[in-house]
Amino acid sequence: MVSKKSRRRDPLVIRTPEGLYCPKARAHIDPWLPVDCALITHAHADHARAGSKDYHCALGGEGLLKQRLGDQQITTHAYGESFTRGEVQISFHPAGHVLGSAQIRLDDSDSVWVITGDYKRDPDPTCKAFEPVTCDVLITEATFALPIYRWPSIDQTMDQLFAWWDHHVRHQRTPVLLCYSLGKAQRMMAEIQRRSDRSVKVHGAVATLNRVYEQEGVKLCPWERTSETNKSVSSDLVIAPPQVAGSSFLKRFHPTELAMASGWMQVRGVRRRASIHQGFVVSDHADWNGLIQTVQDSQATQVYATHGETRVLTRYLNEHLGILAERLETAFGIEEGIDQ
Amino acid sequence: MNFVGLFQALDTSQSTNAKRNALIEFIRHADVLESAIAVEALTSQLGKKRLKPSLLKYTANQAFIKTTWLFEECYATVGDLSETLAILFANPQAKPQTKDPILKQWIDRQTALAGLKPEVFADALLAQLDQFSKDEAFLFLKLSSGGFRVGVSKGLVHEAIARAIDMDRAVIEERLMGPFVADRDWLKRLQEPVTQNELDARPLPFLLANPITVQEIASLNPQDMLVEYKWDGIRAQLIKTDQTIRLWSRGDHDITEQFPDIVDSAITLPSLIILDGEILAGTPGQLQSFNQLQTRLNRKRITQTLLKTNPAFFKCYDLLRFQGEDMRDQPLAARKAVLQTIAFHQSPVLSPQRVEEISAMREAARDIGAEGVMIKNRQSTYGSGRKAGYWWKWKLEPMTADCILIYAQAGHGRRANLHSDYTLACWNDQGELVPVAKAYSGLTDVELKAMDQWIRKHTIQKFGPVRQVEPLQVFEIGFEGIAVSTRHKSGVALRFPRILRWRQDVGPKDADELTHFHALMTNYHVL
Repeated sequence: MVSKKSRRRDPLVIRTPEGLYCPKARAHIDPWLPVDCALITHAHADHARAGSKDYHCALGGEGLLKQRLGDQQITTHAYGESFTRGEVQISFHPAGHVLGSAQIRLDDSDSVWVITGDYKRDPDPTCKAFEPVTCDVLITEATFALPIYRWPSIDQTMDQLFAWWDHHVRHQRTPVLLCYSLGKAQRMMAEIQRRSDRSVKVHGAVATLNRVYEQEGVKLCPWERTSETNKSVSSDLVIAPPQVAGSSFLKRFHPTELAMASGWMQVRGVRRRASIHQGFVVSDHADWNGLIQTVQDSQATQVYATHGETRVLTRYLNEHLGILAERLETAFGIEEGIDQ
Repeated sequence: MNFVGLFQALDTSQSTNAKRNALIEFIRHADVLESAIAVEALTSQLGKKRLKPSLLKYTANQAFIKTTWLFEECYATVGDLSETLAILFANPQAKPQTKDPILKQWIDRQTALAGLKPEVFADALLAQLDQFSKDEAFLFLKLSSGGFRVGVSKGLVHEAIARAIDMDRAVIEERLMGPFVADRDWLKRLQEPVTQNELDARPLPFLLANPITVQEIASLNPQDMLVEYKWDGIRAQLIKTDQTIRLWSRGDHDITEQFPDIVDSAITLPSLIILDGEILAGTPGQLQSFNQLQTRLNRKRITQTLLKTNPAFFKCYDLLRFQGEDMRDQPLAARKAVLQTIAFHQSPVLSPQRVEEISAMREAARDIGAEGVMIKNRQSTYGSGRKAGYWWKWKLEPMTADCILIYAQAGHGRRANLHSDYTLACWNDQGELVPVAKAYSGLTDVELKAMDQWIRKHTIQKFGPVRQVEPLQVFEIGFEGIAVSTRHKSGVALRFPRILRWRQDVGPKDADELTHFHALMTNYHVL
């Protein structure tokens, strides 16, 4: 009954050339072109772009957004607190993806829509845990919507990481962990901090973001920026973005041993094609079970999938869970191949 | 260390040195039966499939009974059946056991599983996988289903064995030729002296040719060379001892049973001889295409009918053993002199005075069904492997055509998830596109990635892992041969098609028409 009603209603969110748009609130969500008012789920480049007049984000996300977009007019909102724009009540809810990441809830008192942005259900010491939000229509990501993506526990992965790290230090090689510089790097450093007094050296791109995290009160393991000059003789792990693979950056640590922390490392062929020796399966996105769980928790009767394995997720929801689901083309997830 | 530990060491290192060291360590310290079976597996000699891929698929489909399409999606993304099952059904909490020997136990379990009735097989396999970590499940399935590659060549394994037991590599190579027996005495046996008779029946390492460069052609002295046609067949050694006749292909495959006609023809040969040469399709008077040989290799039973429709014969061009004497240290000219006293199909030999004679012979190669010429140093001994300065191959330029990409499929292994397998088409006289070739290689990694992105954006339709794309991209393909085909809609079958380059300068309208292929066939006497 509810689903019939929701299908007949005018959609609260539509797709415009600029991106997802809520006409009743006169606001875009993660627009990919400049607009008047942009509601931002999180600071990754495919979701937060410069050039809009006003930005809104969750409290805790402002630092990263400024770091990424430069000085902008940003209004922050505490998680769960709603504000009104036009005829719509808007609120931000924890998405558990990276520091300050949020799902965006839109309520015009006729229906409730939630845009998840990127999210994960696994614990992460650097950001507030995901909170399910009930709604009529859910717009979700689908980066890892295949049953092969099921994440091992972080405890298990960290055990593996430490064993790998020690093994290569013993053999006088520098262990280098490649991971996305916003989010994954800090999550790994926070996990290291929670279990050891180990320290790391980080690439400049990671260092800049570390400072923002620390200003927001996130505890990271001891770190220093890799220096250009003195070749380090230490037992430190080097953390750098994936782009440094094959670049001169790595030369000063020679001999090195490369590993990558990413959900894509679940598949052996992907790791080998990237010429990565060791892969650690750690993702800031929901795995298959996490995605299905989230759809069910939301109690939505209609689901749109925006990026990733959208075809698989929508088919599964339609055919096996009886939930009306459609794909929605967006510009999200363009930096695919690197797990954000 | 056990095989799981070895696999992890091999799989996470990309330097050959590190791999070799891991192998040496393993051979020295692992349980001797574990290392025996491991060597068998790493050199693809583990024998027949114990668990058929169809049974593995059946198991997955049972587990995904209402969503079999979802399993197919997983398989298409992972690109490897064993790995897909390992990811889906291994126990995420289990830790891999990397110390105590496991392979013997695994093989026994696989045999037991293979004996189960289909109704109980799926549950039994799933229960088994649930006891494994991901790596263990992957290896267990990989080993059970034949094909197994971990980026370790047979040569590297042989070298590691030789180093581990401190023996000369050439001796080890020769001793490892032929069927490998994986038991507790395998290392002891390798160190023992072998009997003459045993030696007589074993193939010797092949001498291989290097491709010749334009500079080399200009700089070599034609009078120091012997030139022969490069035949388009299966390289093989024909061995006759006091008791037996054997035919071995490269890669240590005993293919005697596939070619009873060649065995019969060898009865007149003197004993204790090894001939090096080529198995060719057809008769000496009328060659057939290489595809006909493929049929012989793939059949389990060689029937009388097949011998008539797909005859084969052996054309020899070198003599490695004669009257029990090892000829390999003698210069080629001396070996040839003896070879020519033996009554058997021989490859004609040219003793050129000038380079032009070599080019002329090469030009003639296509007309007689050869793929170029071999240039061999008269003074060269018969070494092992690709020796510099011994033999060169000078192949014909491949035939080419500009074709349009119509289907793309994700590759396997290293290319899993990357659309690298292309189906290419040309225009027929109705203005329709008909597929003419499937090509898997030829683009650089950068081009492959760019094309992968393009393919994802220009997909018209998906059939499981296959994407039909907009017919816009043109590729120049090269191929070694062309034959009439009744199986393909286009009516042509290409040999060794591969992508030469991405023709971003050419639009789909400029791609070749089917008439282009017909012209090639007419020119090369196929029609």
